[in-house]
Amino acid sequence: MSTSLAQLVEKQRLLVCVGSGGVGKTTSAAAIGLRAAMRGRRVLVLTIDPARRLANSLGLSEFGNTEVRIDLGDRGTGELWAMMLDAPSTLDDVISRVAKDTATRDAIFANKIYRHMAGSFSGSQEYMATERLYDVYGSDRYDLIVLDTPPVKNALDFLESPGRLARFLDRQIMKWFLTPYEEEKVFGKRFLMGTSAVVYRLLGHIFGREFLDELSVFFALFRDLYDGFRERHEAVGRLFAASTTSFLVVSAPTEPSVDVAGFFLDELRTRKLPIGGVLVNQVHSASTSVPDVDALLGAEARGIDATTAGPLLARLGAAHRRLRELAALEAARVEEVRRATGSSTWVRVVPRMPEEVHDLDGLLRLHVNLFDGGS
Amino acid sequence: MVLSAADSAVLFRSRVLFVSGKGGTGKTSVAAAIGRLAAAQGRRTLVLELDNQRPSLTGIFGVRPTYAPTEVAKNLFISNVEWVDALGDWLEAIVNLPRVVRLIMRNHIVSVFLQATPGARDLVVLWRVMALARSYDLVVVDMPASGNAVAMLSVAHTARRLFEQGPIRRCADDLVNLYHQADTRMVLVSLPEEMVVNETVETARRVGADLAPLRVPIVVLNRATMPSLSTEESALLTALLAGPSAGLAREVLEAGRWEAELETATKESLDRLRAELKLPVLVLPVLARGEGALRVVGQLTSAMARASSVPVDLRGGA
Repeated sequence: MSTSLAQLVEKQRLLVCVGSGGVGKTTSAAAIGLRAAMRGRRVLVLTIDPARRLANSLGLSEFGNTEVRIDLGDRGTGELWAMMLDAPSTLDDVISRVAKDTATRDAIFANKIYRHMAGSFSGSQEYMATERLYDVYGSDRYDLIVLDTPPVKNALDFLESPGRLARFLDRQIMKWFLTPYEEEKVFGKRFLMGTSAVVYRLLGHIFGREFLDELSVFFALFRDLYDGFRERHEAVGRLFAASTTSFLVVSAPTEPSVDVAGFFLDELRTRKLPIGGVLVNQVHSASTSVPDVDALLGAEARGIDATTAGPLLARLGAAHRRLRELAALEAARVEEVRRATGSSTWVRVVPRMPEEVHDLDGLLRLHVNLFDGGS
Repeated sequence: MVLSAADSAVLFRSRVLFVSGKGGTGKTSVAAAIGRLAAAQGRRTLVLELDNQRPSLTGIFGVRPTYAPTEVAKNLFISNVEWVDALGDWLEAIVNLPRVVRLIMRNHIVSVFLQATPGARDLVVLWRVMALARSYDLVVVDMPASGNAVAMLSVAHTARRLFEQGPIRRCADDLVNLYHQADTRMVLVSLPEEMVVNETVETARRVGADLAPLRVPIVVLNRATMPSLSTEESALLTALLAGPSAGLAREVLEAGRWEAELETATKESLDRLRAELKLPVLVLPVLARGEGALRVVGQLTSAMARASSVPVDLRGGA
């Protein structure tokens, strides 16, 4: 059997939570972080989720691109920190560090394309998340980082983003855009032949001359940064595949989330990324026997309120029937998750919490379910 | 708990409806149900997924949606806007030379550049949505989850800041123009859970701040368990729960508590959505569990018809 969740939390350096939306991924990430901190480790829970869910789970109102320490009181000797990524300032940080001098840095900051690429487009959050992850990982300030990723499609973007940014900064592409720019400086006009000329004219038509010029400047500024970027992204790629990293697939016993869990398991296997285990959250349970509600509770109920007892007992019988149906259905879905996972990796069934988690006490109760209860 | 005629008209008399919400709220099923109901009212309706590699509409309609819309029932079409196809169409609309477009699409540098440029995919996919909207009475778009949907739609505003002229600027202008239309709307799907309601409220506010004048005129509260316990029954249940029960008796009481909590959560969520967003809420009931996607959407459509007082005969539908 694979390494248990409790062991992973003790020895791993990076745990990445993936799964569909609404399955308690963020809350699980926070509870795992809490466990490690209670066991004396220095932990950072990092989310790149555009929705502010981590703050929600931790009962914090808002936190930005800075690491915020969660007060554990006397619950352990470790440290629990949380951070939510803010893409523009992350990229600025990276540029400040890798730019060869302040003039280059300021020129990049002033570039229109840079400004928009850094901030506004969807997807740039994932580009930059890996940068930040790399920074905090490398800083050695933490023994464990628990990374919470956004739902389905974006989580895949996130796995792919190192490659995507590297492709964007592909030497070939840069050279192609830089050539006309530099030739123009020398000759004052463009010498382009064949396909390139057609393509460039068309791109000029689509994006406009002004934009292409702006882009050439952007690439010229980034040229010296290219190697640094590529190295960093390759390092993040290695980090994801490292033996001290585990991916946790988080799901719930619903049809779509079981489906997505299977999809992630396939993707992780295809990418040869280390699967730590699978969590099935929010699982209902009930005994399979049909209760005789009147025999069980009738005397007591009538003793309290004889007139209401009849209708309430009927409702309780119906409620228990619905709970049995739900539990049976969910048990079948858990089996489906087990089949998709295979016998060599653990699947942990986490019982549904009677109330939602929105503060540290809630997380503590969840963490008990996650590590000590369940099956 | 039935919507006013004016509020339900918001859903069924729109031209473009962007349906979003937190992950796991049933966005796709709600989008499909709106589509079915609109089609049953005689409107030529298209339900869209955006560049989804694993389209969820497949399970609902039994047909995998493709780039070209497929008719799945009378007046009802489905499609998946795959972005590479949309890019080809967009380039062709701009240069009007299929041969040059093929050349461009095959060019390594251009394809990598376009794929890697953040926002390019979103803009081109939304361009296709606009193009399709011209041939249908209603286009229901199954959007990504909350924050990602807002980010995707705000690509129009970003592109307008970045491009002063040219085809991208025109596309972005057209999109902003679409957001201005009174019959373009965004619908958020929520659940009777505190965190989901939080995200719904936050997303509605972000739409107001980032995507104005795009409107969120209505919220859907999905999987609601409507309050049914009387005050006396609640009091008796509480008294029994406080008493010393064990084993199966305890479990039966806990089942009662479970349903009572679902009812309370529904009431609280409904109150919060109404108070914090000041919007009408379409309430859809929790359905029998374990049904296939097709039946779920069928039941959801009937529930939606009742809740929005739309007099339609669904028997001839999908």
